Amino acid sequence: MTSTLKGFFFSILATILLIGMAAPSAYAQDAAEAREIEYGKDIFKTKATCQFCHKWDGSGDQGYGGNAPSLRKTELNPDQVKEVVKCGRIGTGMPYHDKFAYTDKRCYGAVRDELGTDIPPIGNEYLQPREIEAVVKYVFTKVHGRGEATYDECTEFWGKESRQCDQYKK
Amino acid sequence: MVKISKRGALASALLMATALSTAHAADMTQERALKADSEPQNWILHAQNFEGHRFSRLKEINVDNAKNLKLAYTVALGGFQSGGRYAFGNLEGTPIVEDGMLYVTDGWGSVYAIDGKAGVRHSRVVWKMDPGTDRAWAGDVACCGVNNRGVALWKDKIVSIGLDGRIFLISKATGELIWERKVGEPAIGETITAAPLVVHDIAVTGAAGGEFGIRGWYDATDLNTGKQAWRTFTIPGKGEPGNETWKDGKDRWMHGGASAWVTPTYDYQLDMIYAGVGNAGPDYDPDFRPGDNKWAASVIAMNAKDGKIKWGFQYTPNDPYDYDEISEHPIVRTKVNGQDRTVVTHAGRNGFYYALDAANGSFIAGKQYVDKLNWTTGLDPKTGKPLEYDPNKDVQTYVKGSAPSRANPKTMVKCPTTTGGKNWEPTAYNPELNLMYIPSAEGCNTLELQVQADFVDQGGTVKPRDRFTGGSGKAEGKLKGSIKAVDPISGENKISLALEYPNWAGLLATAGNLIVTGHPDGEFSVYDAKNLKEVFNYSTGCGINAPPVSYSVGGKQYIAVLIGSLQKAAILADSPELKNTATCSMLYVFSL
Repeated sequence: MTSTLKGFFFSILATILLIGMAAPSAYAQDAAEAREIEYGKDIFKTKATCQFCHKWDGSGDQGYGGNAPSLRKTELNPDQVKEVVKCGRIGTGMPYHDKFAYTDKRCYGAVRDELGTDIPPIGNEYLQPREIEAVVKYVFTKVHGRGEATYDECTEFWGKESRQCDQYKK
Repeated sequence: MVKISKRGALASALLMATALSTAHAADMTQERALKADSEPQNWILHAQNFEGHRFSRLKEINVDNAKNLKLAYTVALGGFQSGGRYAFGNLEGTPIVEDGMLYVTDGWGSVYAIDGKAGVRHSRVVWKMDPGTDRAWAGDVACCGVNNRGVALWKDKIVSIGLDGRIFLISKATGELIWERKVGEPAIGETITAAPLVVHDIAVTGAAGGEFGIRGWYDATDLNTGKQAWRTFTIPGKGEPGNETWKDGKDRWMHGGASAWVTPTYDYQLDMIYAGVGNAGPDYDPDFRPGDNKWAASVIAMNAKDGKIKWGFQYTPNDPYDYDEISEHPIVRTKVNGQDRTVVTHAGRNGFYYALDAANGSFIAGKQYVDKLNWTTGLDPKTGKPLEYDPNKDVQTYVKGSAPSRANPKTMVKCPTTTGGKNWEPTAYNPELNLMYIPSAEGCNTLELQVQADFVDQGGTVKPRDRFTGGSGKAEGKLKGSIKAVDPISGENKISLALEYPNWAGLLATAGNLIVTGHPDGEFSVYDAKNLKEVFNYSTGCGINAPPVSYSVGGKQYIAVLIGSLQKAAILADSPELKNTATCSMLYVFSL
């Protein structure tokens, strides 16, 4: 065996060892991220019921609750969406989810009394910063930038036991 | 002598015990239903009698002793589960009570038989029938919550409904499901929330879905066969009178809303059903649907036997406000100008109280009952139409700036708010005091039009089950509430009570001269019917969204109410003090 070959085998061995050592942490990172996305989905679906106005696929909707824009097509970046979730949107039906919004100037530099009837509604549930991070992560992983909702997306959201996704079958 | 084994004796004793606990309940027949007023110990029809009075003739609990009321018992119910757009189910049901047994529903359609006698020490829930509602499917096309407003009695059975469009026949003794029929189709946005009306041997119910582009209907199921007896669309089809009031030329009436989600009243003399009809769709884009849009925002009178429409009266033609008029139409028999008349009444979501002739729908009287009303300057005293209504106009504008239009999409602050006035929460009528009591919301909102696209089957982009509202509304200022006692014919206001919150429960009137209701903050209140002063209050700790009933068993009077409310965004917007109230799912029962 030449030294070159030796070197080659050594580097393969080193790579295998490296992969072996690196894999658990990469896996943990993926698992942590998947868990955060799943957590965000639950907030989107049930706790904050974002889907009531934005629709389950985030494509936006109208009617009771307000004219809610599409999150699939939004031009806002994640930080801006976080601010909107936290503070709501003044003069619209988009609610705020930071319990202390408008009690001090943390949201758009405004307090409740200055806004009159333009103050955003209160969300169904208040959200902690960790929850806002998660729901925005969910939106930017599973919703934002996607085209028309598909059957697979629908069953991923609702499960397969409901007739809810039949309409998306091709 | 027949020899009976020990086991046999035990079995017969058990059989007898079972028989004793259920056999005394008489079968429900048309004849018995017509005499509901003569069974004050029971509450055998959804609105107490066919006329929709919600008046208990019991007076053991009365204005002098109501201050001594106390909690008799409570029962925890289910129905919390999330589904579709909702984090949890809601309770809006009216209990049915017969011989001390209460039959109540939760929002997902489970029916509970509850033993309402005094002194029960074991579980009061005798049976529960869960129909296994497809929650995600139905809950995604429920506009306004997960609701089920109650059951009906028929023979020795219970008739109930489910949000996912089914009607059920159940054994009253055991809760066993006998048959079910699919009536509504959630695949096209139809859901069912109204308690069935049973007349003769049919069960009438209707389709909710006015925000999802349905074409509304009332449907009768023949209870003897489990098959359809008749169906009447609330929007007339091609060639039928009224269809010409949809002038778009594109058959948009086929998705024109006009939903049906509250139990109608029934007049036995004329054998007619008086049924409210919901808003036209899309709600806030009237340019989409030029014409009066019959029979949206109307009442229709149908023959009970075949469902044929005898007459209709439209409250808000070409309605641009979502003034959905599904709510009840109590019937009052009285003298008008010295003549005996049967009068159909209605506290409208549009802020006016109406009295119409039951035989032909002619307008008798109408009067504003809400504090603030600015979308019209009044009603025409002859026709009952809003004064600004112009039959030559295809799109009504009413008071300038109040209606959204494509030219001016955002409205001024208009009153009453879109939810009313009065929504589904029922009125109560005390015939002894001759007063109609109206539970009301007081407030205003703005509307903003979004140009509505057509459905895919009409060349557009809107798919079945998509929302179809042509815009949205926004609350302007705090929404409050009131109870108004009015003359049942003229609508003249006799007594008023201002409430901190809109009344989203509905009322009970009793011969003890009481008015009973619950509030969104969980307060359960009893008022003196003669002055609306509060005589009893109990904090249930959970929002109330359902009307109370009264019954007696063993000579003891009870007042029962379902507790457990979806706290609506419209309330929370300006009532942060309610923010932390959790929902629940309970039956509360009070007695002396």
